[in-house]
Amino acid sequence: MKHLSQMAFAQRRATLLLTLASVLIGAAIIGQSYYFVAIVERMFLDQESFQEVVPLLFGLLAVLAGRALFTWLHGRTGVSMAAYAKSEFRKRIIHKFSKNPVQASLEGQSGRKVSVLMDSVDEVDGYFSQYIPQMISTAVVPLMILVVVFTHHISSGIIMLITAPFIPFFMAIVGVMTKKKSEEQMEKMSAFSGRFLDTLQGLTTLKLFGRSKKQRDTIEESSLGFRDATMDVLKVAFTSSLMLEFISMLSIGIIALEIAIRLVVYESIPFFSAFFILVLAPEFYLTLKEFGSAFHAGRGSSGAAKQLVEELEREDQSMEWGQKAIEGSQPPALELDGVTFAYKKGQTFQLQELHAVMPANADVAIVGRSGSGKSTLLNLIAGLMKPDEGTVRINGLPLNEYAEREWFDRVSYISQHPYVFAGTIEDNIAIGGRGAHTREEVERAAEKAGIAELVESLEYGYDTPVGEAGRGLSGGEKQRLAIARAFLKRPSVILFDEPTTGLDLKTEQILQSSIEELSKTSTVITVAHRLHTIRNADQILFLEDGKLVGQGTHEELLQTTEAYRRMVHVQQGGDSA
Amino acid sequence: MKELASVMKIITLEKKDIWLSIVFGFLAGIAAVGLFGSSGYLISRAALVPPLYALTVLIAFLKLFGFARALGRYAERYYSHRATFTMLSNIRLAFYKKIEPHAPRIFQKYRSGDLLSRIVGDVESLQNFFLRVYYPPVVMVVIFLATIVFTTIFSWAVALVLFVGLLLTGLIIPFLFALRQRKLENEIREARGHLSTDVTEFLYGFRDLKIYQQLEDKEEQLESSAATYIHEQERQGKQMVYSQSVNTLATLIVSWVVTGLGAYLVGSGDLNGLFLAMLVMISLTVFENAAPMAVLPRHLDDSRRASKRLFHLEEAVEESEETEPLSGNAPYGYRFDHVSFRYEEASRPSLDDVSIELAPGTKTAVVGPSGSGKSTLMQLLLKVYPQTVGDVTLDGKPLAKVDEEDLWSQANVVLQENHFFYGTIRDNLSLAKDDVSDEEMTEALAKAELAAFSLDDEVFERGENLSGGEKQRLAMARALLRNERLWLLDEPTSSIDALTEQSLYRHLFEQAKDDTLVLISHRLTGLEQMDQIIVMEQGKVVETGTYDELMAQQGYFYQMKQIEKSVFG
Repeated sequence: MKHLSQMAFAQRRATLLLTLASVLIGAAIIGQSYYFVAIVERMFLDQESFQEVVPLLFGLLAVLAGRALFTWLHGRTGVSMAAYAKSEFRKRIIHKFSKNPVQASLEGQSGRKVSVLMDSVDEVDGYFSQYIPQMISTAVVPLMILVVVFTHHISSGIIMLITAPFIPFFMAIVGVMTKKKSEEQMEKMSAFSGRFLDTLQGLTTLKLFGRSKKQRDTIEESSLGFRDATMDVLKVAFTSSLMLEFISMLSIGIIALEIAIRLVVYESIPFFSAFFILVLAPEFYLTLKEFGSAFHAGRGSSGAAKQLVEELEREDQSMEWGQKAIEGSQPPALELDGVTFAYKKGQTFQLQELHAVMPANADVAIVGRSGSGKSTLLNLIAGLMKPDEGTVRINGLPLNEYAEREWFDRVSYISQHPYVFAGTIEDNIAIGGRGAHTREEVERAAEKAGIAELVESLEYGYDTPVGEAGRGLSGGEKQRLAIARAFLKRPSVILFDEPTTGLDLKTEQILQSSIEELSKTSTVITVAHRLHTIRNADQILFLEDGKLVGQGTHEELLQTTEAYRRMVHVQQGGDSA
Repeated sequence: MKELASVMKIITLEKKDIWLSIVFGFLAGIAAVGLFGSSGYLISRAALVPPLYALTVLIAFLKLFGFARALGRYAERYYSHRATFTMLSNIRLAFYKKIEPHAPRIFQKYRSGDLLSRIVGDVESLQNFFLRVYYPPVVMVVIFLATIVFTTIFSWAVALVLFVGLLLTGLIIPFLFALRQRKLENEIREARGHLSTDVTEFLYGFRDLKIYQQLEDKEEQLESSAATYIHEQERQGKQMVYSQSVNTLATLIVSWVVTGLGAYLVGSGDLNGLFLAMLVMISLTVFENAAPMAVLPRHLDDSRRASKRLFHLEEAVEESEETEPLSGNAPYGYRFDHVSFRYEEASRPSLDDVSIELAPGTKTAVVGPSGSGKSTLMQLLLKVYPQTVGDVTLDGKPLAKVDEEDLWSQANVVLQENHFFYGTIRDNLSLAKDDVSDEEMTEALAKAELAAFSLDDEVFERGENLSGGEKQRLAMARALLRNERLWLLDEPTSSIDALTEQSLYRHLFEQAKDDTLVLISHRLTGLEQMDQIIVMEQGKVVETGTYDELMAQQGYFYQMKQIEKSVFG
């Protein structure tokens, strides 16, 4: 809540406007009551003629119109405030997420993150559009009414003064009691959203295994769990407003009784004052009660706000970058100096102290069975993750002393599953480049990546839209798209993650030649499965269970490393028939 | 209203809670009217100095109304919210039931970010349908009618004014605003959709964006779609405040007319002045019940849209006439007779006049360049899509007459992309069949060369913490566990190194010895043991035969093999 209130009161102009509107609303309420009472008194007790109250009626009309107008102004200001706050929050979260290293984006459930950015931010709305405006008018309006009541009848004022604090006091108690629950509920909701998406995305799998019907139960179960959690929170809220209602009713009752007795028994109060107070008293408590319901809206927001703040304050091991420029446009030399890495503490997989020197323009192959840590190593070299210990050096200097842009400007990373963005094929190739590219350049890159023919066979060619997760493109096409991106960029460092994975030989050949061409002007580090790639490498890093067990050329490794020899034998053996 | 039919149907399931909500809502509302009316009467009465006991009775009434109102409100809220959240659960379920039969086909059309915002957003927004649209008007009308009937006792004219006020604030003004609301709502939805897509891309495509230095641009784009969304929300919020204010103004003016009219009637002697205060108070209070009408159109529109998107996403599939059950527990054969297939939006057919025969108990490999139609063939084998031209028979029956769920229940399937759920390895493996023991699962893991994994290891959503090879091996373990007689494998080892692949295939062929097996393969190694190799290119079958036959023939397969050799050699 602290976070939120700071944000609210930082909006000076808006809070001032809210205060002003509240004062005017208060005045309108008092005026409205005054005119109603005056009209009734004149007509009923004084038995005046209708003509005499006509001016009062017009006064009343003006006050009523004013009340509507000021309420409108008040509400509108709250909405603006909420819009501003939400936009700030979303900006900060987006910024925060953009700083996340890849590791963190793998660890979190992406569905949950989507929900934080979409729903949690939206839920902050209530605090600004309801809670803050209501809080301000609750601070102003009852006070004004109280002053008016005191001027008419002191003992009623005293009753109000004594009973009023019960309402915020009670609310505070309820607030403290519900705080934890509302946070729990937010967590449940957030978990649920991730789970539902997961289920929907896996529906194909569920169907094929005949489990999709069963999953209904899971959905129902978590859905009903969600309901019960929500009802628990709401029940407390309802009970608290019930109690508030009782408190205010009791208070009004006492005031009414007191006034009636004075009026009837002692005849010590004029009818006008008595009626006036009786009309004002409910307005007095109503404003206080409204604060109660706004308070709950604010509470709901505070659960969401906490989530946002947590997300904002989460410490990530993000790569830190320096300011240095990478000299020259030649491919850089790379060095791994005692690099270690573990995804999570206590997890068995660990990349163990790794030393390697990769000269400029070298072709390096990282080889090993799957799960041996090849991809992890590649991510570390890419500067996407920070090593736990040790340093990655570029041209002799630690990678993190360079400016981020300097490094990434020189790198292309062709992952196992290149992401295809919603947009046209041209957009998707151009994303790899640096800034604006002409259609010709894009076409040339596509040509070199061996995808041009396919693209041109499509009805809309390069303008063909491709989907969010790349639906409509096969694995091979995605990879070729990624290669086209690289051709557009002309990087001096290329990182390949299993470049020929899952592709057919013809495509593979196109790719091999593409890579060969790209490698003329760059240092290439490849996670390789194929002997072809491995044989051509200047240096092979052979990994087993996160440990570097062999290093050298193909021939050298065949001589020195038994495990390597065995692996090569199998690959060739499978081919010998 | 047609769009809301499905939601209405779900709502009426909660009959009891609906009635309770209405009854208590009425009770609370009418008690409030009674409370303020009687307090107005009380004060007037007191001014005339009546006997004390009359006042005591009145005050007792006051208390009674007060309690009734507070308790009524509580009960109304409780029951209406309970009904609402039960309904939401039912809606989620109904949506799932609706989408489930269309999977996997439907996933070609909808993007994940869309689905997320669709389900979470739309279902959540439907919570307002019952709470703000469905029952409040009923409650309002009943309260008004009761009040108006009561008012006629004192003055027909005042009753008439109240009735006009009801029409104005309950019907005319909300309707006018509903018209303006519609356009706004459209824009806000659209903005939310854009934002949701951008957010999803930003988070899922993070690595590529980072490397390509597009993160900042994407961030900007994301911020701008966020700004648009918030701007639309703000406009809507202001519009709502405006419509509420107009409605408030209308109710205040009606009360003003009641006051003026009452005063006039008292002046002309048609109304006892004693009741003037009461009527004014009644009029001020009864319109509190009209307040929810101001937000009704917005929620109605909201709900209609949400419901439409949720429940009208697909025209019903044509049900296949009668289905014949597969004979069960025997290896099946397939037969394709001049089959062609084209995806709806594709310009050329993915399968072009394919005739093949897969005899029961045989092993078939399908090879060919990417995009040659291998995976489409798999989709037809699985009956994900019905063939459009030609005939397919399975187990001697036309595939059209085979229930696809029957088929799937008897097949071990590994797709190119296999989904893994958030949970543990055990959770994901136990999908394979009912009552799988831990021993079986551990054994399957070992066969799939995943012995290093423990059943309790955590799996992230979409298996994101697993490497490509690990996912494939896990999928393979799942298929091995399932152990049916039909194997349909679509490039199951593309991300697995040769050594692992070899040992995996050994286990596979051992287990599938007598079964029908179709293996789509990107590699040409290890195909010697297949009974038949089908070579495809551009949707056509270019060659079929055993490994030796195809090699002797020196055709397409032979050439591919030569390329492979040169690469490996």
